[in-house]
Amino acid sequence: MNFIRGVISGQPAGPQHSGVETIQKLCDRVASSTLLEDRRDAVRALKSLSKKYRMEVGSQAMDHLIRILQTDSADSEILGYALDTIYNIICSDEEDEQEEMQKQVDDVGAQFTERFIQDPENITLLLTLLEEFDFHVRWPGVKLLTALLKNQCAQVQGIILVSPMGVSRLMDLLADSREVIRNDGLLLLQQLTKSNAAIQKIVAFENAFERLLDIITEEGTSDGGIVVEDCLLLLLNLLKNNSSNQNFFKEGSYIQRMKPWFEVGDDNAGWSAQKVTNLHYMLQLVRVLVSPVNSPGATASCQKAMFHCGLLQQLCTILMATGVPADILTETINTVSEVIRGSQVNQDYFASVNAPSNPPRPAIVVLLMSMVNERQPFVLRCAVLYCFQCFLYKNQKGQGEIVATLLPSTIDANSISAGQLLCGGLFSADSLSNWCAAVALAHALQDNLTQKEQLLRVQLATSLGKPPVSLLQQCTNILSQGSKVQTRVGLLMLLCTWISNCPIAVTHFLHNQENVPFLTAQISENLGEDERLVQGLCALLLGICIYYNDNSLENYTKDKLKQLIEKRIGKENFVEKLGFITKHELYSRAAQKPQPVFSTPEHMLFDHEFTKLVKELEGVITKAVHKSSEEEKKEEEVKKTLEQHDSIVTQYKELIREQDAQINELKAQVASMTSQSEQMQATITQQLTQIQQHKDQYNILKLKLGKTGDQSASQGEGAHVNGLQSEELSQLREELEELRRQHAQQQTQLAEQDTLIASLKSEAAHSAEAAEGTLANAELLKELEALRAQVMSQAADINQLTESQELLRRAEAVQSGPGSVDNGVDMARVAELEKQLAAQSTEAQKLQEEVKGLNASRAGMEADLASATSTAAILQAEVSKLQQEVQESKKEQDDLLMLLADQDQKILTLKQKLKDLGETIEDEDDLDSKDQSEDDEDEEEEEEDDE
Amino acid sequence: MAYAYLFKYIIIGDTGVGKSCLLLQFTDKRFQPVHDLTIGVEFGARMITIDGKQIKLQIWDTAGQESFRSITRSYYRGAAGALLVYDITRRDTFNHLTTWLEDARQHSNSNMVIMLIGNKSDLESRREVKKEEGEAFAREHGLVFMETSAKTASNVEEAFINTAKEIYEKIQEGVFDINNEANGIKIGPQHAATNSSLPGSQGAQQAGGGCC
Ligand SMILES: Nc1nc2c(ncn2[C@@H]2O[C@H](COP(=O)(O)OP(=O)(O)OP(=O)(O)O)[C@@H](O)[C@H]2O)c(=O)[nH]1
Ligand SMILES: [Mg+2]
Repeated sequence: MNFIRGVISGQPAGPQHSGVETIQKLCDRVASSTLLEDRRDAVRALKSLSKKYRMEVGSQAMDHLIRILQTDSADSEILGYALDTIYNIICSDEEDEQEEMQKQVDDVGAQFTERFIQDPENITLLLTLLEEFDFHVRWPGVKLLTALLKNQCAQVQGIILVSPMGVSRLMDLLADSREVIRNDGLLLLQQLTKSNAAIQKIVAFENAFERLLDIITEEGTSDGGIVVEDCLLLLLNLLKNNSSNQNFFKEGSYIQRMKPWFEVGDDNAGWSAQKVTNLHYMLQLVRVLVSPVNSPGATASCQKAMFHCGLLQQLCTILMATGVPADILTETINTVSEVIRGSQVNQDYFASVNAPSNPPRPAIVVLLMSMVNERQPFVLRCAVLYCFQCFLYKNQKGQGEIVATLLPSTIDANSISAGQLLCGGLFSADSLSNWCAAVALAHALQDNLTQKEQLLRVQLATSLGKPPVSLLQQCTNILSQGSKVQTRVGLLMLLCTWISNCPIAVTHFLHNQENVPFLTAQISENLGEDERLVQGLCALLLGICIYYNDNSLENYTKDKLKQLIEKRIGKENFVEKLGFITKHELYSRAAQKPQPVFSTPEHMLFDHEFTKLVKELEGVITKAVHKSSEEEKKEEEVKKTLEQHDSIVTQYKELIREQDAQINELKAQVASMTSQSEQMQATITQQLTQIQQHKDQYNILKLKLGKTGDQSASQGEGAHVNGLQSEELSQLREELEELRRQHAQQQTQLAEQDTLIASLKSEAAHSAEAAEGTLANAELLKELEALRAQVMSQAADINQLTESQELLRRAEAVQSGPGSVDNGVDMARVAELEKQLAAQSTEAQKLQEEVKGLNASRAGMEADLASATSTAAILQAEVSKLQQEVQESKKEQDDLLMLLADQDQKILTLKQKLKDLGETIEDEDDLDSKDQSEDDEDEEEEEEDDE
Repeated sequence: MAYAYLFKYIIIGDTGVGKSCLLLQFTDKRFQPVHDLTIGVEFGARMITIDGKQIKLQIWDTAGQESFRSITRSYYRGAAGALLVYDITRRDTFNHLTTWLEDARQHSNSNMVIMLIGNKSDLESRREVKKEEGEAFAREHGLVFMETSAKTASNVEEAFINTAKEIYEKIQEGVFDINNEANGIKIGPQHAATNSSLPGSQGAQQAGGGCC
């Protein structure tokens, strides 16, 4: 113990080797001591030596320290010392003090890192230790892993990626309540996610966006400290060039959560350096999501989201606010540029933004003022140009509006317009303004034949007394005056863009007799290095004059121009000069991305869109110049037929598209009309039923009224048997019918029995032997007579019933008589109404009014109804009396039936008696079976009646 | 857009079985005839409606190639649902299901809903795995089963939506802890708003923010 204390307190005064010895001894102790305390002290001592004797501790103690991590995981204190020591070995905190040593120091760090990660298990071990909540372990663990990642990023990333739940465990650090660990966890994740898409995606999957945005909000967004900055850097790592994560970010509605970041307000309360940095990264994040290098679909959907959640509007507020630091303003302009680029809705919104000046001016105008203002910072002017370009990108409407501000018919003399500013810039003394204005104007013409032709109409008043000169002419005038390279390059790019693909503009250009000689002179001359780009651009312009020539000027047909090149310049020379453009050192840089970024103002030479034009034209112009006129003619023909073909196809396509649109429109119309007609039908049906209801009520009332008014009591009796009562009547009628039928049946049965009895009687008479038989027969006859009398009286009853029924029927006829007439009239009216309804709903309304009238009369009738009801009551009583009568006759009928049954029985007994008397009855079986079948039929009929 | 719930899904299974195509068909209603090997994972999302509720599905389409297996494993734990896909025209992809299932069961949370999918049902003439076999495997392992075609879109909607229905039911039964986002389920802002004291004003604010 003593020697350890010596090491710690008094620095080893002796030479280096004593330190080495001490380290050796400490290592032995760490390795061999069985006492935890001993080992702990030894590791602590190693830690204190690890900065000064980094190399020695590293080379001798590394393995021992790793073993401690493996075996002493129960003691957080020793773990902490061991982690700190390894940390000190692999990364030096004294980098700043020894700048010169740094390279070498880094080598040492890298070397020990290599050794540590040689066994991937060590990283896994470290990940396990990070699950330990104890501060003494977790914190140094986080720092160590961060340092390892810094030194050997890809390798360590690879190990973490394949260790189960590795990334997930590191994400848990963000949830640590101890700020130091959370903040250092952020730094760890920054290193972890550096250029590794797979890890970036897992981190995002583990809800990183949610947590980071929460932390940013908790910390006060842009007013927050360095933690906010660290969160933003991590977010940038996760989103940059990672389309999957960008999509996740958008789909998770996190764009909406960015909007409040930019509510910085107009108060210039404070723009601390941290706030500027935070906002800078916030703007960067927006740009990452809508970068022109992303897939168009992805950018478009983010642009849409940014408009819908108000983020674009918020950015435009910053744009027009005062007191915003220049670099933030510049970056905001760049951000707005990319948020609106190619998105019509966002571009339209941007065009509508006004600066809060008096009078309010469009933001576009205010920005252009900065672009052509020499005193504004260069980067700001570049940003404005970018913004203007993005505003016009794929925006024919915007292009038209800009060009319109220059046309004589639409010019507004009272206010400064974009066009005025651009013209002013084009011809100012500042070459940067010339270049910017030329490129800006070129973007108003990009892929827009209409505006190319419109711009030919623009006339400029140069000086008092002189006639106005066209804008095109003025451009070539300035060109020939030999201004700065930047100015001429700008103007040549504008002219190339303007006349390419626009034969009328070519003709306009060639019409000026001085232009072609000027170009040939420029190209053919042997000029210095500086002039090479201008020469190349002049060659391009002349080439366009050939390629897009419609041969309308006799002196400058394609052929004549080609001959001129051959004579004055030489084909090879021409092509070589043309090649100067793409060979220029700044060309490829501009070709990479749309944003104009230049290291110095002098480097501002190429525009991105223009590089596309060059790429498109260089080849075809070279070919055109080399080709003989005959070849050209042939090609021309082929081209023409191809074009014709193309145009036919395009026409058809157009036609199909139109028809498609028409079909869709018609379909929509049909759908809406169907639903309309359905609706109408429903209304009509409703109204019809209403009318029917009213009409019914009306009819009833009328009937009631009519009856009480002028019909006799007896008629009324019948007439009132209406509605419910008519139902009862018909029921009664049916019953009567049934009774009559039964009656008829019984009569036939009686007749049959009569004949049977007659035959039986004759048989009995024939038998002379038995007097008893005759006697019995006489008895039977008597009974039969009595029966017949009963049947007779029944028949009379039935007749009576039939009569009463007849009476009812007559009454009914009386009632239905006037009713049916009425019905006929109403039917006709309904038919008419229906027709009217179908034709026009207005008439339906009229009808409704009629109904209303009917309603009114109904109200009057309702009073009469009361008296009618009392009459009805009386009638009802009579009806029930009738019913009773029917009931009674039914009962009689039943009795009759009983009698018949008795008779049957008696006949049977008689037969039996005859048999007993020894009389053989002929066809006995036949008769029996006949009876039987008749009974069956009766039963069947009864069953049917039940049903 | 406001949603009631958010579910995280993963799609797993051998390479070439049509995982990416299923996702593309579900999110974009398109079919991609060329095999575009997935590197690592790709993200996709769509909104669906269940029981009148808007449910946002966030789907991670994983790479089927063996070399990406360890990366894929990182996604199991945080997912609420998994589509385990095989190709009915390739028996080997069916034979590997057991391995996939073991992997999934080992690394996921125990409540994860797994839907077994036999894809490419349009290629009936080249079928190597009977529908009954798929059904039997699903029954044996307690999975939901469906045959789909990413090409004709047959059953594709159903596969994703039925999985969501299972999860939704589990939520109703209280099986899932919806407050733990690590389960792959999140309650939407819409839902949270109705739980707050002033649902009306919150809703109105949201609507206002959405339209301007
Ligand atoms: N006929 C048919 N072909 C399909 C179907 N689904 C996918 N394919 C084809 O199968 C091939 C593979 O599809 P992918 O979706 O890329 O396969 P994957 O499962 O994502 O493969 P990895 O990304 O390597 O894991 C492609 O050529 C698809 O066109 C289907 O339902 N029917
Ligand atoms: Mg795939």
